[in-house]
Amino acid sequence: MIRDFAIVWSERDLLLSGLGNTTILSVLSAIAGLVIAFVLTPALMSKRRWLALAVRVFVDGMRCVPFLLFAYIVYYGLPSFGIRLDNWSSGLVALTVYHAAYLAEILRGAWAAQPREPLEAGVAFGFSGPRLFRRIILPPLLLAAGPIIGNQMIQIVKDSAFLTIIALPELTHAASSIQSRHYVPFAAFITAVFLYWGLCLIIEAGVSGIDRLAAARR
Amino acid sequence: MSTADILAILQGAVVTVTLSFVGILIGLPIGLGLALLRWADVPVIARIVAVYVSVLRATPLVTLLLLLFFALPNVGIAIGPVSAAILALVMNTSAFNCEVWRAALMNFPKEQYEAAQSVGMHASLRFRRIVLPQIVRVSLPGLVNEMSLLIKVTPVLAVVGVVDITRAAVRIGAETYEPLPPFLVAIAMYAPIVFALVSLQRFIERRQLAAEAA
Amino acid sequence: MGMTNDMAVLDVAGISKRFGDLQVLSDISFTVTRGETVCVLGPSGSGKSTLLRCINWLERPDAGQIYLNGDRIGINNGGVVMSDRELSRVRTRIGMVFQHFALWPHLTVLQNLMEAPVQVQKRPVAEVREEAMALLAKVGLSDKCDVFPARLSGGQKQRVGIARALAMKPDVLLFDEPTSALDPELVGEVLLVMRELAREGRTMVIVTHEMGFARDAATRILFMDRGRVVETGRPERFFVSPDTERARQFIQRYAAG
Repeated sequence: MIRDFAIVWSERDLLLSGLGNTTILSVLSAIAGLVIAFVLTPALMSKRRWLALAVRVFVDGMRCVPFLLFAYIVYYGLPSFGIRLDNWSSGLVALTVYHAAYLAEILRGAWAAQPREPLEAGVAFGFSGPRLFRRIILPPLLLAAGPIIGNQMIQIVKDSAFLTIIALPELTHAASSIQSRHYVPFAAFITAVFLYWGLCLIIEAGVSGIDRLAAARR
Repeated sequence: MSTADILAILQGAVVTVTLSFVGILIGLPIGLGLALLRWADVPVIARIVAVYVSVLRATPLVTLLLLLFFALPNVGIAIGPVSAAILALVMNTSAFNCEVWRAALMNFPKEQYEAAQSVGMHASLRFRRIVLPQIVRVSLPGLVNEMSLLIKVTPVLAVVGVVDITRAAVRIGAETYEPLPPFLVAIAMYAPIVFALVSLQRFIERRQLAAEAA
Repeated sequence: MGMTNDMAVLDVAGISKRFGDLQVLSDISFTVTRGETVCVLGPSGSGKSTLLRCINWLERPDAGQIYLNGDRIGINNGGVVMSDRELSRVRTRIGMVFQHFALWPHLTVLQNLMEAPVQVQKRPVAEVREEAMALLAKVGLSDKCDVFPARLSGGQKQRVGIARALAMKPDVLLFDEPTSALDPELVGEVLLVMRELAREGRTMVIVTHEMGFARDAATRILFMDRGRVVETGRPERFFVSPDTERARQFIQRYAAG
């Protein structure tokens, strides 16, 4: 058994590059997803019915589709529109678009639950437009939605593992390679499991940090 | 794509959904059991359960599945793709269900529990008659949510060779040299099932809100 | 057993309780005889509720003994702490009414009353139902029998809470600030029911801040401060000429408020 872990250790470069890919992929798609979500959320709440409806169909649609099948669609489908992407980019696109829908719904929920009065006070004190959004609406929104966004980030990390199927060299893919090269399945995959656990613990630590900030401001 | 192909995907979908529900049915009571162990704060065991839940919640289903499928035979436990799939689903969903049940238990009003004690209900009666009916109600939306999450990750079981919706779609795509259509068909079959669960969850939440408002 | 007189329903002897560094109860002793209405008064944080919760062992006292009709509560004949089942058996003889009602929200009003008599005391359903309906009539809520607690006002909830305690036919009733969580206009209906019970000669221990009720309905006042029984006596004497300075200050403050 110790010998098995020694083999995994000897392949640490492969594993670390997998971990790096998983991390970069997750962070990039979380950021890009949030940015898209910030566009989608106002649209979801828009008074223009057709716009709200269109975004609602997209958001609810994504929430009903398994990520793996969606990733296949993006991977196989984009070329038919003349877009040629490598595994890495199409994985990133799939992860980002998919989770943007979830994040938009999270932000909408948090937005709807915000009390009206501070916003009205902001308007009364002369804030408007982007400044109102940035200074008055956004901070409490992010604090309130922080824990749920954190959960979604964990979901993104976990969904990124699906991309092993389109041969994206992320953490699970690296563990698979090590296992097939040396036949040390337990050592290879349990190491991957604990690395995923570590990533999630880091995210959870971030969430509880946000929670402490939020608790002081309630 | 022929009608036979569509039927093959449908068959795959049935396999996937069946496996999900088997996983849910087994995982639900196990999750409750784990939550009770943590709630009762059984020494050592409660700690072990906490770590188990934390690790399992962080582990992607694919990784867990590959671990079970390849490593268990290595230690002398023969396991087929379907058994490995069910075991992985149960381990995954029991950890999530444990958290839903535990949240309901932690928020259970102490005074109500004491009221049951004060009329002389012993522990198992208190749990069966007073606690359980209420935590089931409180946990229901969360549990249904977990179900839809589980159903959404189940298509990954194909990775160890379960002949499910994904495998059927991949095979047909390879045969016809048109990979996209079979996946669109697969999604068209799968999405309504998830949609039904999501709607069920919203329906339950709305009904409970309405009941509280009344 | 030998020390308690024949009429003593409840005998509390030398109860102490400490939460961490805080001594909540110090050496509390008193007896309650059959038909007495004992009102426990005192400033907040004086340990009144903890005392009540120690009587039926929702809180485990650190020292002292409690006897119900001569039977030791909490410690069995072998001298060890009672098991959950033994405690449960004893608790059926002590009714408790809670500050926040603690009705079970998943059961209707009638089911709330019937739950313990049927499930714990294993009495026949038909008989229990008949008695429960009679109790609901007594507290003026016959028409609410099939309603869920969420639909009741606070005063109605507490009347159900009292009926639920009575349905067990307990030897003694404990009230833990039964009107503190109520809107002022709903306090009266609950006190009315409690006065009626006092008139019937039920044995009751009531923790309350309702001075008027204590003065009229109590047969005896137990005044507590900082975890001790400071003074005890008949209400006419306690409210008019208390023995201790602390009781005098307490009465003055409430008379002013």
